[in-house]
Amino acid sequence: MDRLHRRTRLRLLTGVSGAAALTLLAVAGCSSSSSSPAPAAATSSSASPSSPSSSPASSSAKVPLVVYSAQGYDSAMTKAFTKATGIPVQLDDNSTGPLLTQIEASKNNPNWGLLWVDGATAFAGLDTQGLLMKGFEPKVSWNSLGAASLPPDKSYTPTGVTLMAALVYNKAKVKNPPASWQALLSPAWKGQVGMNDPSQSGPTYPFIAGMMNYLGGVSAGEKYFMSLKANGLVIHPTNGVTLQALTSGQINLALVQSSAAIGAALGDKNLGVAYLNPVTLLPSAIGIDAKAPPAVQAEAEQFIDFVLSPAGQKVMQSGDPTGDSLYYPVISGVSPLPALPPLGSTKTQAIDPYKWGPQEAAINTWFDSNIVR
Amino acid sequence: MIDPAAPGGPPPGTGGARPPAPPAPGIPARTGGPSAPPSPPRPPRTGGLRPPRTGGLPALRAAGMPLFWLIVAAFILLPCACFLLLALSPRLFGQGAQWFTLTYLRQSLTGATAVAVANSLWVSCAAAALGLALGFPVAWLAARTTVPGRRFVSGGMWLSLLLPSWLPALGWERLVQADGVMYRAGLDWPWVTHLIMGPFGVVLLLGLRCVPFSYLAVSAALGGLGQEFEDAARVHGASRLAALRLVAPILAPAIWSALAIGFAESISDFGVAATLAYNADFPLATYQLYAAIGNFPPSFPLAAGMSWLLVAAVAVPLALQARALRGRSYAILSGRTRQAVRRRLGRFEAVLAGSGLALFFLVMLGIPGFGAVSGSLLGDYGGSFTPTLVNYQALFRQPGLTGPLERSMAYGLITATVTVTLGFIAARLLSRRRTAATGALDFLLLASVALPGVVFGAGYIFAYNLPVMSRLHIDLYQTVQLLVIAYVASSLPTNARVLVGPVSQLQPSLADAARAHGAGPVTAWARGVLPVVSRPVTLAWLYTFCGVFLELPLSQLLYAPGSPPASIAIEDNLSNYHFGVGMAQAVLAVSIAFAAVAVALGGYRLLAPAGWRRIGGTTRG
Repeated sequence: MDRLHRRTRLRLLTGVSGAAALTLLAVAGCSSSSSSPAPAAATSSSASPSSPSSSPASSSAKVPLVVYSAQGYDSAMTKAFTKATGIPVQLDDNSTGPLLTQIEASKNNPNWGLLWVDGATAFAGLDTQGLLMKGFEPKVSWNSLGAASLPPDKSYTPTGVTLMAALVYNKAKVKNPPASWQALLSPAWKGQVGMNDPSQSGPTYPFIAGMMNYLGGVSAGEKYFMSLKANGLVIHPTNGVTLQALTSGQINLALVQSSAAIGAALGDKNLGVAYLNPVTLLPSAIGIDAKAPPAVQAEAEQFIDFVLSPAGQKVMQSGDPTGDSLYYPVISGVSPLPALPPLGSTKTQAIDPYKWGPQEAAINTWFDSNIVR
Repeated sequence: MIDPAAPGGPPPGTGGARPPAPPAPGIPARTGGPSAPPSPPRPPRTGGLRPPRTGGLPALRAAGMPLFWLIVAAFILLPCACFLLLALSPRLFGQGAQWFTLTYLRQSLTGATAVAVANSLWVSCAAAALGLALGFPVAWLAARTTVPGRRFVSGGMWLSLLLPSWLPALGWERLVQADGVMYRAGLDWPWVTHLIMGPFGVVLLLGLRCVPFSYLAVSAALGGLGQEFEDAARVHGASRLAALRLVAPILAPAIWSALAIGFAESISDFGVAATLAYNADFPLATYQLYAAIGNFPPSFPLAAGMSWLLVAAVAVPLALQARALRGRSYAILSGRTRQAVRRRLGRFEAVLAGSGLALFFLVMLGIPGFGAVSGSLLGDYGGSFTPTLVNYQALFRQPGLTGPLERSMAYGLITATVTVTLGFIAARLLSRRRTAATGALDFLLLASVALPGVVFGAGYIFAYNLPVMSRLHIDLYQTVQLLVIAYVASSLPTNARVLVGPVSQLQPSLADAARAHGAGPVTAWARGVLPVVSRPVTLAWLYTFCGVFLELPLSQLLYAPGSPPASIAIEDNLSNYHFGVGMAQAVLAVSIAFAAVAVALGGYRLLAPAGWRRIGGTTRG
């Protein structure tokens, strides 16, 4: 081939590609502005009669609030918040794992304003790294669940509570479900119990830590799970798969998050839900980025105030009625949805996230090596 | 993969066809080596000898190649290097106290991690071989015979490319798991359960995943092969089998490309690793890597240590490929490539081949389809067998359903267009004589395929969210720009490798002839080269579009808040207990993507000039 011609053509091709790339950047540069949610136009005070501390009128210097959230009702909540306050929100709606990965990978130059996920241990881990703003507590009246979930340094704020783990069973096959954690070790339930893998299911580590806490320590907890494994414990990755194993008949008892359990029971009348004493509280909570600009932190505080306001609680309870909305409120005077079984005589325990949080990686690794495999 | 005309060319006696010295500009070149067709007769000139136009934008042309390397360095090398560097210097990125350590590399070579890496290595080799063993005959049957149903083969392959790899795994699990469909249908075959829920099942699923890559690479090469080589062999008395043995080595670039892609795609696959392999207690490297990142707090340095091993692993197929192709030329595609003649199958042969194809697609598409559709049509986590539309009704009630789909469509269109442009250039470079630069490019492209998406995404955060970047006002993290750039960077390696086969078959005479007749470089390329590569370029574009449309790991880490793509919306439903709604959304998204593929392929058939379609086409024998 003619070398000169070939080079000319190649240069031309590269030129075209360069132009294409530049065009892409230009187009994307234009589109990025359009990708950001526009500040809500509705700023009339009638839009949020119950908005607690924010006034739509005080809309000067509003900056976008970046919300990292794994909650099923987050989209509804951010829209309601923007409508009520005029503060624009950019929602990163993801699973808890990717959100924490993003925060850890970007901790030298964080981009988030607030984080809203389930599980106090993750927040304790972020707090010990100095990534959370401390000292903010909304002016609300906590009930006993809320008071038990509030950290001493006020580095995060509970917004609701689910329980780990609820026992879900097939009512057609299981007439007398087990009544205690020890009963699960009985030969009668051999090969019939399933639970999630903590390395894939965020709420499962607090359950394991809760069992260790209840039984008196890590060693006793490990012994319990080894016994459970010897009795044929079946591990599936997440709530959904464990429940699917239950409905398909692979297992007859599933240990999953209470909101998943109750949501499943709403869709399948053959499923029953029971709590074994004690169950571990799994607070959903909001933490504010310690390195965010003061304006963003102030908006994040407004967001928490709004979430815990009557209007916010209404959104939380209606935004995901068969999923995350099935939580126990942490505010006095707010009742759980009717589908939630009353806690009644159920004994709950709150684990110390600052004690159990730092052990998460080690315990998950042990569980993966000894129970999952 | 040597361009005989490249400076330095192949050494004598290696089979490379060296053309005469290049003629002076403006003088028609006598193109082609001894085996190439003669140059076309020069048409009568109506004017004086006119030098070829060099085209405009000289500055852009001069900057073209450096720009290409800059793009490769900034958007592939930098994120990968940043992540890999983490294993050696965690403190550099605020992920530990050590400025330099080998601890994490050592950790990745011991215990469960080492077992997972070893598993990944042999499974990926087996899967690549299985993919080729199935993809080659299917490509041959569809391209060169009258097998019944051949018109649906291409569509079937594209449909399978659209499916995320966890979907087939889900389908298989539902079929063979304890109390699954197989048992409910009265087939009490525990041995099948053990077989599928183990290493065999993992190899089978990953191998099936490799089939479309093999099919695309081989069918594109077959398209350029034409009929002349088989005719020449048959004229000289070769049997049909002997002719095949003669022709098969000409397809070596495509075969090796298929094996290399299959290996790299398998070793970086996460969908099967996190589902079937996980449930079968058969750990793979990508799952271990995910666990290192997914744990809290995440251990990025350990994940980086494992990434070193994955990157090193791709040296294996590359070395084999380089060794196999060294010193040979595969330039066969010219404007005179003759349409191949389909072999008319006898009745028995047709029934046999048709049944084989049907069985293949039943396994390839039927089982994943069963997994997805059953998941979307059953209201209770798929436990019962009562179909209902409740999930679809819930899906269409969700606000903001169309936004993510539209966004993914736009991202796919932009990404595919840019990627194919860059991929063509990369393929052109890779098909030339191997130099240090092209060798490095080859390794970089394949190594980045081997890195799982979550690693690539984290690498982008580490590279483009450094405080220094913000001080320079380069705030790309969590913007649409960086997401699309990451899509392009992650698609480019596979795209370039798919195009290497057809591009290495291009004869230089094609553009030279046009230039000799006075065409400028753009016209020469558009009228001389584009027609013969239009089909593989179209397929590469579609492949990228499909890959981006439902891409998840990169999207999870890099998407611009407030602008979720389709995969994020689906994952949002799946992870928030709305399993059935998520599956319904996945079915809807795959249907839309498939419709887009159908429109693109139909548009090509209707709108492309007949001559474009003739190259790589066939006639009935």
